[in-house]
Amino acid sequence: MKKYLGIPVGLAFFGFFVLAYLALASDWHRHKRAPDQPIDFSHKIHVGMVGLECLFCHETADKSTFAGIPTVEKCMSCHKNVATNRPEIQKLAAYWNAQTPMEWNRVHRIRVRNHVYFSHKRHVKANIDCAACHGEVEYMDKIRQISSLEMGWCVQCHRQKEAPTDCLTCHR
Amino acid sequence: MNRREFVRLMGLASSASLLSSCGLERETEKLIPYLVPPDDGVVPGVSVHFNTTCTECPAGCGVSAKVMDRRAAKLEGIETHPVNEGALCIRGQASISTLYHPDRLRHPFIKDGQGDFQQTTWDNAYSIITDALKNASGDKTGSGVDPKPRKHVFLSGRTTGTFSEAVDSFCKETGVERLPEFEFYPYSAIREANRILFGRAQVPSYRIDEADLVLSIGADLFETFVNPVSFAAQFGRSKKRSSFGWIHLEPHVSLTGLQAKERHTIAPGGEIYLLSHLLREVSKVNVAGDRHIAGMAELLPDLLPRGFAEKTGLGVETLDALSRRLIRARRPLVIAGGVSTMQPSGLDVAVLTGLLQWATGMLGGTVRFEEAVDYDRVGSFRDVEQLEQRLESGDIGVLFLCRVDPFGTTAGGSGSHTLVKLKDNFEKATLRIGMGEFMTKTLEMCDVVLPLSHTLESWGDARPRGDILSVVQPAVEPIHDTRSDGDVLIQLTRAYQGAATALSYQEFLIGRLKVRHGSATIEKLLSEGFVKRRVEPLTVTLDRDALTHHLRRIIYDDSHVKPVLVVAPSIRFFDGRSRGLPLLSEIPDPLTTVSYGGWVSISEATAEELTVKDTDEVTVSVSGWKTALPVKIQKGLPRGVMMIQWASHDDTPFDFDRMSGEMMTIYEGAAIAKTGRSVAIPALSGSLTPEGRKVIPYLGEEDQHHHGESEGHPTFYPKHEHKDYRWGMVIDLDLCIGCSACAAACYIENNIPVVGAKLHLDGREMSWIRIEPVYAEEGDNVEFLPMLCQHCENAPCETVCPVYATYHNPEGLNAQVYNRCVGTRYCSNNCPYKVRRFNWFDFKRPDDKNATVNPEVSIRGKGVMEKCTFCIQRIRGARDTAKDEKRKIKDGEVIPACAQTCPTNAIHFGNLEDETTEVGRLAKSERAFQALGFLGTDPGVYYLRGVWKKVHG
Repeated sequence: MKKYLGIPVGLAFFGFFVLAYLALASDWHRHKRAPDQPIDFSHKIHVGMVGLECLFCHETADKSTFAGIPTVEKCMSCHKNVATNRPEIQKLAAYWNAQTPMEWNRVHRIRVRNHVYFSHKRHVKANIDCAACHGEVEYMDKIRQISSLEMGWCVQCHRQKEAPTDCLTCHR
Repeated sequence: MNRREFVRLMGLASSASLLSSCGLERETEKLIPYLVPPDDGVVPGVSVHFNTTCTECPAGCGVSAKVMDRRAAKLEGIETHPVNEGALCIRGQASISTLYHPDRLRHPFIKDGQGDFQQTTWDNAYSIITDALKNASGDKTGSGVDPKPRKHVFLSGRTTGTFSEAVDSFCKETGVERLPEFEFYPYSAIREANRILFGRAQVPSYRIDEADLVLSIGADLFETFVNPVSFAAQFGRSKKRSSFGWIHLEPHVSLTGLQAKERHTIAPGGEIYLLSHLLREVSKVNVAGDRHIAGMAELLPDLLPRGFAEKTGLGVETLDALSRRLIRARRPLVIAGGVSTMQPSGLDVAVLTGLLQWATGMLGGTVRFEEAVDYDRVGSFRDVEQLEQRLESGDIGVLFLCRVDPFGTTAGGSGSHTLVKLKDNFEKATLRIGMGEFMTKTLEMCDVVLPLSHTLESWGDARPRGDILSVVQPAVEPIHDTRSDGDVLIQLTRAYQGAATALSYQEFLIGRLKVRHGSATIEKLLSEGFVKRRVEPLTVTLDRDALTHHLRRIIYDDSHVKPVLVVAPSIRFFDGRSRGLPLLSEIPDPLTTVSYGGWVSISEATAEELTVKDTDEVTVSVSGWKTALPVKIQKGLPRGVMMIQWASHDDTPFDFDRMSGEMMTIYEGAAIAKTGRSVAIPALSGSLTPEGRKVIPYLGEEDQHHHGESEGHPTFYPKHEHKDYRWGMVIDLDLCIGCSACAAACYIENNIPVVGAKLHLDGREMSWIRIEPVYAEEGDNVEFLPMLCQHCENAPCETVCPVYATYHNPEGLNAQVYNRCVGTRYCSNNCPYKVRRFNWFDFKRPDDKNATVNPEVSIRGKGVMEKCTFCIQRIRGARDTAKDEKRKIKDGEVIPACAQTCPTNAIHFGNLEDETTEVGRLAKSERAFQALGFLGTDPGVYYLRGVWKKVHG
C-alpha cells in the first residue's frame, strides 16, 4: 500500500511546478510587454484624470490601419502652459526645443512573420471599445500589453461577435 | 533647411525605420511620430496618389503614383489620360524600380588623374564645368598651345515641353551649341518623308480608333512604335466595332503582326513594290479632283500583277484584295514604320506611304498632323556621324550628354560603325559631362558625372502629342544628393554668370506654363496630371515638285541577298534604355518565353537545313559583325529570315541608312553556321505548342462549344457555398496582345522577387501571372494565354495540402496561408496549370531598406508556397470602403493590378455569383471556356476564345 503512495505524491509534487509554470507562462505576456519609454507618459493622468478621449491623441485610429501617435507639437499644444514645472514635461519641452521627434518603444505588436494585416479603422468603426484590446489604460501609469495578440485570442472575439473568421480576413 | 523640409525629412525617417523593421523579429521596435503634423494632410498607412507622367520612353503616358508613408509603391495609368487611357506598359510598370535602385548615382563624380571616379560636391562640379566653358580654346593644359577655338555642344535624348526651353536658354546664356537630339528610334525616315511631301518634318498621330481599315506595314505598333500603349488601347476599343479590319504586313514575325486580323509575310525590301501597286490602283480611282496622283503614279514601276506578286512575295489575289479593300474602305489608315522604314529603302517606303495617306484622304482624319507627336528637335544618325567627325577633327570643346547612352547597347562589340568611331573619338572632347541616373557605359567615359533625380522626384512637363500637355511632378523627396535636369541647367547658367540667386526649375516651369496657359489651366494640370487642348484643323498641301523629284530618284534594287537578319525592336527593352531594369529580363519575351540573354530566332525550314534544334548554338554574322547565339525556332518565320532582338544581349549589329539617318534593322547576306555546342537558355515554357493537350480547346480544330465542360464532372467533394461573392476573372483572348504589362504590374504590386537567370534555368521562376504563347500544332495561329492561378472550385491543390495551408475561401478564392505552409510542395505538383511558386530562398530585395515594397502585401520567406491572390489586398481595400458606406462591393470596384494596367482591357474581374456583373455576363458568353476545363477543376477564371483573327492554314 505504502509503496503506491509515492506515485500520487510525486505527481502532486512535480505537478505543482508544472502548473505553476503554466500559470506563470499564461500570464507572463501581461508583464513582459511594458517597455520603458523616453518620457514617463501616464495614460492614468491623461485618460483617467483629465478625461481625454482616445481619438484626441490617437487621431487616425478611425481613419487608418495605424492608430497614430501624437506629434510633439500636439503634446506641446497643452504643455506649453500645463504642468510645465514637472520633470517629465521638461523632458518633453526639451524635445520640442531641440525639434527632435520622440522615439517611442512599441508595446503592441502583432508578429510580422504571421503575415497579419490589422486595421484599427475597421475595429473602431465596428464600435469595438479600445479597452477590449488595450485594457483599461485609464488605470495604467505605464502602458503595457494586456492581451496576448495571438491568433487564438483574435479569433475568440471574432467568433463571439460573429465577425469574419476566414483566414484572408487578416492574413495576406 | 526650412521648417517644411525638415518635417518632410523627419517623416521619411520615421517611415524608413518602420519599414526597415518589417520582416525582422526584434525585441524593441521604435515608433517615431511626426514632430509636427504634415501640412499636406498625409495620414500614415493611407495611400495618396500623385498624377504625373511616365518618362521611361518618349510616349508620355499619364501615370498616377501611389505613395504610402512617403514611399512610392506603384505606378498606374491615369484613367482619363488621352494617351494611355489608364493603362501602362511593361516598361512603365517596371520603371518604379529605378527609384530605390541601389546602383543609382548618389553624388556628383569627377574623374581623377588615374581615371577613377571621385565623389565631389555640386559646387565643385559646377565650377569645373564653368571654367571649361569659359576657356573657349578648350586647352586643358593651360599652356595656350591649342590654337583652334572649340565649340561646346549639348547632346540630349529627346526632350519635350518646357525642359526643351530650359535647354535653349542654357545654351544661349553659356554659348553652347545645341545638337539635334539623340534617339535610337528617331523616326527620321517618316519625318524626312513628310518634309518632302508636305514640308512638315513631323511624326503625325495615327488614329486607329477612327479607322475602319488599318493597313500596317512593318510598324511594331505594340512594341516600340511612337506610342505603343495608345495604339493598344485604341486597338482594344476598335476591335469591338464590327466594321474594323486590320491587315499587317511584315518580313518577320512580331507581336503586333500576330494580333492583326490578317497577317501577310512580305519579302524584305518588297514594301516599295507593294506601295507602288497600291498607289497605281488608287490612281485609277482618283482620276480627277484635288487628290489625283495620275502623274506621279506613272513614275512608279509598272509591273504585271504577277510581277508585283513576285517582288512582294504576296499572292496575286492577296495584292488584288489589298488594293480593293483599301479603295473601298471609308476611313482607311496606312501606317509604315518599324523594320519597314528602318532598312535601305526605308525613306522611299515612308514617302510612298505618305503619298498613299494623302491620296486616300487620311490626312486630317486618321493621320493627323495637328496632333503631331513631338519629335521636332530629334536628329538622326546622320547628325551622330557629324558629331563623330567634328570630334575627330578636334572641333568639340565641352561635350554635355544628358540622358543619352549611345554606347550602352552596341559599340562594345565588333564592327567599325559610327557609334564605335564616336566612342573612339570621344576622348577628343576637352571635357565630357555626363548627366544621368545610373553609371551607364557612356557616363563611365565622362570626366564629370552629374546625378539626375528620378522622374518621381522631379518637376517637368511633356507634350506627348500636339493637343496634350502632361505634367511631371514629384511624388517623393529626392533620396540622394541628386538634382533634376532642369535644376542642373538653371544652376549651371547661374554659376556661369556668377549670379547668386538661383530660380528653381519648378518656379521656371510654373512661370512659363502660367504665361502660356493661364492659372486655371495650371491648377487643372497639377490636379489631373494633364490638359487636353483643342487644336485647329490643319490643311496640309502636297509639294508635288519635291515629291516628283524624289520619286524619280527611287532606286528599285531587287538584288536582295538572303538570308536576311532582322534586328527586331524589343517590347521589353525599348531602344536599350530599359535594359537596366532587372524586372524586364525576369519577365520572358512573349513570343519565345525566353527571359534572360539573347537568342536568334530561325525558321523551321532553316532549322531543318542546318539540323539544329532549340538551344543549339550558331554563329550569326553580317558584314563586320559576328556573334554566337543559341537558336530558338520561331513558327511562322519565313525561310531565309533570321531574327534577333535589339538590345537583348550585349552586342547587336549596328548600321544606319545614309538617306534617312534611321538605324538599320534589316541586314542582307547574313551567314549562319552551327558551332556544335548547345547553350542552356531560360525558355520558361516547356513547349510552345499544346502537345495534344487541349489547353485552349478550340485551337486548331473546328468550331465547337467548350462552355461548361467542368459541369457534371463527378466529384467526391461537396459543392462550395458562396454567400455574396464568388470572385472570378474573364480574360478575352481576342484582346490579349501578349504585351506582358500585366506580369510587370503583378510583380510590383505583390512584392514578387526577381530571382535571376540561374533559377530560371532550374524552372524556379516566381511570376504569378505569365503570358503563355500557345502555337497551334498545325497552321500559324497563336494565342496568348495569360496564365495565373485559376482559383478552381474543385482545386487539386487544396485536397493534397497536409496542413490546410491552401483552402477554398467562402468567396471563391483559392487562399494560400503563408504561416501555415510547411513547404511540402504537394500543391504545386498537383496543380495542372503550373501557377504555384515555391520560395526556395529568402530572396534579397535589390533596393535598400525594402523601399519598393508594397506595404499592403506581405513578403514571403523561404520554404513557403505562393501564388496569385486575385489581389486580395485590393478586395480588402474595396470592402473597407464599402463597409464605411454600409453597402456591398460594387461591380468594377475591385480591379486587380493585372486588369488595371491592361492596355486593351482584356481582363475583367468581379463577382461571378451575380449574373448582372460584367464577369457574370461574360462567363455565360458563347465564347467562354475554361483552360483545361475537361479536367473538372471548374476554374474561376474564364477565357473568351479568340474569334476575331482570320487564321490561315
